[in-house]
Amino acid sequence: MKYLRWLVIIPYFCLATLPLCWLFFTSLKTQEAAISPTASLIPSTAENIAPGDLTFSATLDAYRKLATPHTGKAHAFFHYLFNSVIIGLLSTLASVVLGTGCAYGFSRFRIAGARDWLFFILSTRFLPPLAVVVPVLMMYRVFNLPNTHLGLILLYTAFNLSLAVWLMKGFIDEIPRAYEEAALVDGYSPLQAFYKIILPHSATGMAVTAVFCLISAWNEYGFALALNNAEAVTVPVYFAGLQGNIQGIPWPQIAAGVLIFVVPIAVFTVLVRNHLLRGVTFGTIKQ
Amino acid sequence: MRVKDGVLKYGFVGPALVFLIAFNIFPLFYNIYLSFTDAELSGGVTQLIGGRNYGVIFDDTRYGTALRTTGLFVVLAVATELILGFALALALQKPFWGKPAITTILLVPMMLSPAVMGLYWNFILNGHYGVVNQALSVFGLFQPQWLTDPDLKLFSILMIDIWMWTPFMMLIALAGLNAIPNHLYEAAAIDRASRWTVFRRITLPLCSPLLFLAVLLRTTDALKQFDLVMAVTGPNDRATQTLSALLYQVMFRGYKIGLGSSYSIVILLIVIALATIFIRYIAGIQAKQGRETA
Repeated sequence: MKYLRWLVIIPYFCLATLPLCWLFFTSLKTQEAAISPTASLIPSTAENIAPGDLTFSATLDAYRKLATPHTGKAHAFFHYLFNSVIIGLLSTLASVVLGTGCAYGFSRFRIAGARDWLFFILSTRFLPPLAVVVPVLMMYRVFNLPNTHLGLILLYTAFNLSLAVWLMKGFIDEIPRAYEEAALVDGYSPLQAFYKIILPHSATGMAVTAVFCLISAWNEYGFALALNNAEAVTVPVYFAGLQGNIQGIPWPQIAAGVLIFVVPIAVFTVLVRNHLLRGVTFGTIKQ
Repeated sequence: MRVKDGVLKYGFVGPALVFLIAFNIFPLFYNIYLSFTDAELSGGVTQLIGGRNYGVIFDDTRYGTALRTTGLFVVLAVATELILGFALALALQKPFWGKPAITTILLVPMMLSPAVMGLYWNFILNGHYGVVNQALSVFGLFQPQWLTDPDLKLFSILMIDIWMWTPFMMLIALAGLNAIPNHLYEAAAIDRASRWTVFRRITLPLCSPLLFLAVLLRTTDALKQFDLVMAVTGPNDRATQTLSALLYQVMFRGYKIGLGSSYSIVILLIVIALATIFIRYIAGIQAKQGRETA
C-alpha cells in the first residue's frame, strides 16, 4: 500500500511538473534555441555551444526584452502587466468592500426575501460571460466605457461579487453577535459597531476573499478580449494576441512573462493555503 | 432606532445588489430582446424579426455539433479529473515527508491563466519543434500531430484542461478524506474489514457529497470552455468548436448579434438547469451544517 501511493504520486507529479520546468528552461533560452527541432535540456553558462548539443547557454535576455515593445505591438510587456495590476487590484478592492457590506447586511439584519436574494447572488456566477457580453458592450458604448480600465474594473467587480458575498457571509456568521451587542450597550452606534468590531474580526476573511477575486480577475480572458482590444489590454489578451505575429511567437519572452505573471498569484495562494478550500467551494466547506 | 436600522441595512445590502442587477439581470433581458432582432455589432438599423433566429439555430448544423463537442468535452474532462484527482487525494491522504510541498506544487497549474497556457501548450505540442514529439521520437514512438489532426485537436485541449484542473478535484477530495472521522477506520480494523470494503463502505460514501460538489463546480466551468479553444485552434475550428467558441465566432467575427443572442439564450437554459441542481445542493449542505441562510 505504501508503494502504491508512490506509484500514483510520482508519475503524476513528473508529468504535471514537466511542462512547468520546461516553461522555466524556455524562459532562459534564445528564440533560436527555443524553436530548435533538436531541443536542448540542460542550461549551462558556456557562451558558444554547438547546435544539437544537449546543453544550451542560459541567458536572461528574454526577461530583458520584456521591457521593450515586441514587433507590431505598441507597448512593452510591463505596460500590459501594469494594466492587469490596476484592473486586478481595484476590482478586487471594490468586490471586497461591496461584498463585505452586503454579507454583513444579510448576516445581521432581517431582510425581506433574504434567502432568494442570496441564491440570486450565487446564480449570477453560472452565467457564461459570453452570454452577457454583448448587452454589456452596448451599455458601455452609451457610457463611453469600452477600452477603459474602469469598464473592466466594474465588470470584474460584478462577476466577483457573488463569491465575495458568499465567502464573507460565512466568515461574518462565525463572529459572535454578543461582540456587537456589547458594543451597542457601551454606546456605539450600529455603524461604529460595524467598523470597530466586525471589520477587525473579519480581516482574515477579507484577505481570503481578496485573493480569490484577484485570481479570477487576473487570469480572465473572455471579457477582456471582447471589451478591450485597443487600450487597457491585460496580459492574457496581450499574450494571446501574439499568435500569428509575423516575427513568429517570441516563446522565451512568453515563458518569462508567464513566470512573472504567476508570481503574485502563487505567493497569495500560499499565504491563504489554509483557507483555499473555502474559496474554491463558495464558503460551503469550513476548514 | 428601528427606523434607522431599516435605512442602514439597505445601505449595506443595496450597493452590491444594484451592481449585480445592472450587470446580470439587465443584460439578460436585453439579450432576450436582441435575440428577436437582426442586430449587428457594427450598429445600423435594428428590426424585430420574430423567432427567425431560433429557427436558424435548429437548421444550423454548427449548433448541434458545438453542443455535442461541448458535451463530450465536459463529460471526458470532468470524469478524468475526478478519477485522477480522487486517486491523488487517496495517495496523499496520510501524512508523509514532503507532503505539504508536493501538494502545493501540484496546485500550480490551477493558478495559471488558461488563455496563456493554451498558447504555451501550442509550443509544447508543436509538430515541428515541440518538445513532446521530440521526446517521442527519441524513444522511436509515433509522433501525432496534436494541433492539426482533426481527430486529435479536441483531445489535446482535453489534456490541457485535465492538467490544469485535476489539482482542483484533488484539493476538494483531500478535504473530504480529511473530514472522515478516524474512529470509523479503527472500528473497521477491529472488524477485520478488507481494504476494499473499507473503501467502498466508509471512504467512498463519506467522501461522495464533496466529490459531487466538485463535479458540479467543474461541470459549470467546463461548459463555458472558451480560453483554451481560442488559444489552441481559434474559435472557428469544426473539430473543437465549443458552444462559447461558436458564440464568439457568430457575434464577434460574424457580427451577428441578434443570432448570437438567441444562441446564448439556448445555452443559458442548459446552464440554468445545471445551476439549479448546484444551488439546491449547496442549500442542502448548508442546512446540514446548521447554518441559517436567512
